[in-house]
Amino acid sequence: MSAAVSAIREPLITGGKTYHDITEDICAPTERTPSRAWIIAFIFAVSALAFYAFCVTWTVWVGIGSWNLNRTINWGWDITNFVWWVGIGHAGTLISAILLLFRQRWRTGVNRAAEAMTIFAVMCAGQFPLIHMGRLWLGFFIFPYPNTRGPLWVNFNSPLLWDVFAISTYFTVSLLFWYTGLVPDFATVRDRAKGWRKKMYNFLSLGWTGSAKHWQRFESLSLVLAGLATPLVLSVHTIVSFDFATSVIPGWHTTIFPPYFVAGAIFSGFAMVQTLMVLTRKVLNLQDYITLEHIDYMNKIILVTGTIVGVAYLTELFIAWYSGYVYEQFAFYNRVMGPYFWAYIGMMSCNVLSPQLFWSRKLRRNIWLTFLMSIFVNIGMWFERFVIIVSTLARDYLPSSWSYYSASWVEVGLFIGTLGLFFTFYLLFTRVAPVVAVAEVKSILKLAGDQYAGKEHTGKHPESADAHSHGGH
Amino acid sequence: MNQFTLQSRQRTFLIGFMLLGLLCMVITYLTDDALHTRFWTNYLHNTVFFLGIGFISLFILAAFTTSWAGWYVGMKRVWESFSLFLIPGLVLMVPIILGLWGHFHHLYHWADKAEVAKDVILTGKSGFLNPVWYTFGTLILVGAWIFFALKIRQLSVLEDTQGKGVADDFSIHRWIRFWSAVFLPIAGFSSAALIWQWLMSVDSHWYSTMFAWYTGASWFVSAMALTILLLVYLKGQGYFVHITTNHFHDLGKFLFAFSVFWTYLWFSQFMLIWYANIGEETIYFHERMTNYPALFYGNLILNFVLPFLVLMRNDSKRKTGIMVTGAVITFLGHWLDFFLMVKPGARHTAMEALASHGGHGEGAASHALSVAAGFSYPGLLELGTMLGFLAFFLYFVMTRLEKASLLPYNDPYLQETTHHAVWPYAEHE
Repeated sequence: MSAAVSAIREPLITGGKTYHDITEDICAPTERTPSRAWIIAFIFAVSALAFYAFCVTWTVWVGIGSWNLNRTINWGWDITNFVWWVGIGHAGTLISAILLLFRQRWRTGVNRAAEAMTIFAVMCAGQFPLIHMGRLWLGFFIFPYPNTRGPLWVNFNSPLLWDVFAISTYFTVSLLFWYTGLVPDFATVRDRAKGWRKKMYNFLSLGWTGSAKHWQRFESLSLVLAGLATPLVLSVHTIVSFDFATSVIPGWHTTIFPPYFVAGAIFSGFAMVQTLMVLTRKVLNLQDYITLEHIDYMNKIILVTGTIVGVAYLTELFIAWYSGYVYEQFAFYNRVMGPYFWAYIGMMSCNVLSPQLFWSRKLRRNIWLTFLMSIFVNIGMWFERFVIIVSTLARDYLPSSWSYYSASWVEVGLFIGTLGLFFTFYLLFTRVAPVVAVAEVKSILKLAGDQYAGKEHTGKHPESADAHSHGGH
Repeated sequence: MNQFTLQSRQRTFLIGFMLLGLLCMVITYLTDDALHTRFWTNYLHNTVFFLGIGFISLFILAAFTTSWAGWYVGMKRVWESFSLFLIPGLVLMVPIILGLWGHFHHLYHWADKAEVAKDVILTGKSGFLNPVWYTFGTLILVGAWIFFALKIRQLSVLEDTQGKGVADDFSIHRWIRFWSAVFLPIAGFSSAALIWQWLMSVDSHWYSTMFAWYTGASWFVSAMALTILLLVYLKGQGYFVHITTNHFHDLGKFLFAFSVFWTYLWFSQFMLIWYANIGEETIYFHERMTNYPALFYGNLILNFVLPFLVLMRNDSKRKTGIMVTGAVITFLGHWLDFFLMVKPGARHTAMEALASHGGHGEGAASHALSVAAGFSYPGLLELGTMLGFLAFFLYFVMTRLEKASLLPYNDPYLQETTHHAVWPYAEHE
């Protein structure tokens, strides 16, 4: 890394922090009793999780018939939710791996929470294919291993099986990456802790002493894991897109799907990171580490990926016409003008049109708008998957079997339930682990001196004045 | 030496190659079939290839500027000069456009009105595949790219003399960033439309949503390879002292990464079409795998296997010899990739046309095609033509390099680029 830093760059840590301030500020949330906001949020999350357990039990007890899927529309909310969650699980590893390779220093402020989010999102995603099997207890059938089931064996030609490998590999590498980064920080917490907390963090930090040899191995391992994780960021959603694109169903079979799904996944992943970061920085008082600058950068990524997704939408529409293939043309006509036109409108307006607001720097740095937009994008990307799956299946080759579908309460409950699962884990994470990577943030303080430490050493949160001027807080 | 001057020896050398290219084109034209298929496909192939390198260089410049990259500014004059090639590139497109109206080439099946009339698919596409769209699409969209290339270049050069740095908060640089950001979405949408017109419509029945991004990735790798080669040469001449092994290391990373990205797009496009096995789509690959196997598989070896193995290691990107090897392989490899995009479709169109016009009477697609220089593989004439285009490209680029300092003095990232180091290596290693 070069030592010279251009004067045009904005500081990444504000408030004139010292090393000790960083340790204090970031470790504090794990050391004090939870705030009221946290407790209320946790009650909501756990309630939703309980409802999830209820809906899963209901599905298993009553059967998949409790969902509103039918012969024509045989994938609905289940696979929509699956793809949605997998997509969200992309930002963390992108931030930690690809941005590490690109030496983007701003990643240090948000990578920890984003990686945690990734892991929880992938866990939520994994629920749906399993529940969709109906017989949850036979879930292990998806693994190819020597067994006594005779011809009942996985289909290596199926992208659904590739998904099993892609997602489990991705999950494993993301978890390792996340945990590796946590080790030095757990050691920091350990050194401050007493009693049973000290024992717990002692166990979690794997005997880290901070010796030069430890750091050297840590750096090498991070780079190796980044190299492994980078193709995985692309491969997971590529293979998810293959679930659709390898078929011969018009609207699903199109060659742009792999990169366009990846772009969409990064888009939705960053939106979810924004949703969480805007809340986390406020609740845990971390505005000096997750600054407006970080939010600005992530909004730019949302703008870029949203526009890439827009190019892909229009490419699909255009090529459908251009192909001269009537079924292809009908599939896209149906998407825009058919019974699910409202989902298409939702998708286009949330994913392509509204992110264009982020051309304005002022709006990119507006906390309230950022939060609102991140919710919009999450909704839009859910709609995108719903459009692809349901609106395509609803109008198949045989008009007599055309159908319409809306979810039953069980399906809605499962979706809300996974949100509960996700937030339960995330809230626990904020209590147990440092939400910002302490060691990594310290590394940019050291490297870039005054530049990143903040131009103004006065005022606790320089941006809060800024936010006031936009009517925030 | 921050001021480049093109020496008369270099000038003579480049002009010599341009004349060689011209000679090859004349010979091709004279020894060609009745429709001059070989000549026109060579012309389209090279024009689009080099024009695209100009376009993608502008895209790279805009993307790096918008993302606040600092390491590259020491070589930004090279990409600025590349991007200005859009101007001669557009001029080179004019004969192809005129040919659509005057029917003196037969590159595009859809340009033949009689054929379109009896072909349902082509009639369906005629709202897009027609000379009017082609002409105005090319002129207006490439014209827009040229506007951005000139704007960014002009501001960049202005910054050398007028830039005030912190004093006026880098106002000129902020304007460059503004124009760069505006260019990016325009480039994203417009390049796809032109790639469909110029290249995908050569196989006028076939379609693939991936095609535009795939082509863009191919341009990207070619531009990176050419950048590396030119910088190595100019450094050897004593210029660009501020460009170090560290900069080449990063260029090498881009060459490697985008070779892999290209492969990813290649594989996604191929695999999905192969898997679904729909005749309208598989015809494209079927044609290439049966009649052009050497090119088809060679494409993957040159553009994936070799760069992947050669550039994988960290230290290989820091050795000039290896980097030059990698750059030469990928440059030629992507030139062949474009060759394979243009030739089979245009050849097929020409054979059908010759057959129906009572020419040679060969059945067009019914049986395996014979091996022919200039189609099944690039002959010496193609090589000569490419060298001619390359010499023209470099001549133009070098005359642009002369017009401004090689080091952008008032760029905000000047210190970052001159002190660039790639972890874990040191600055002057």
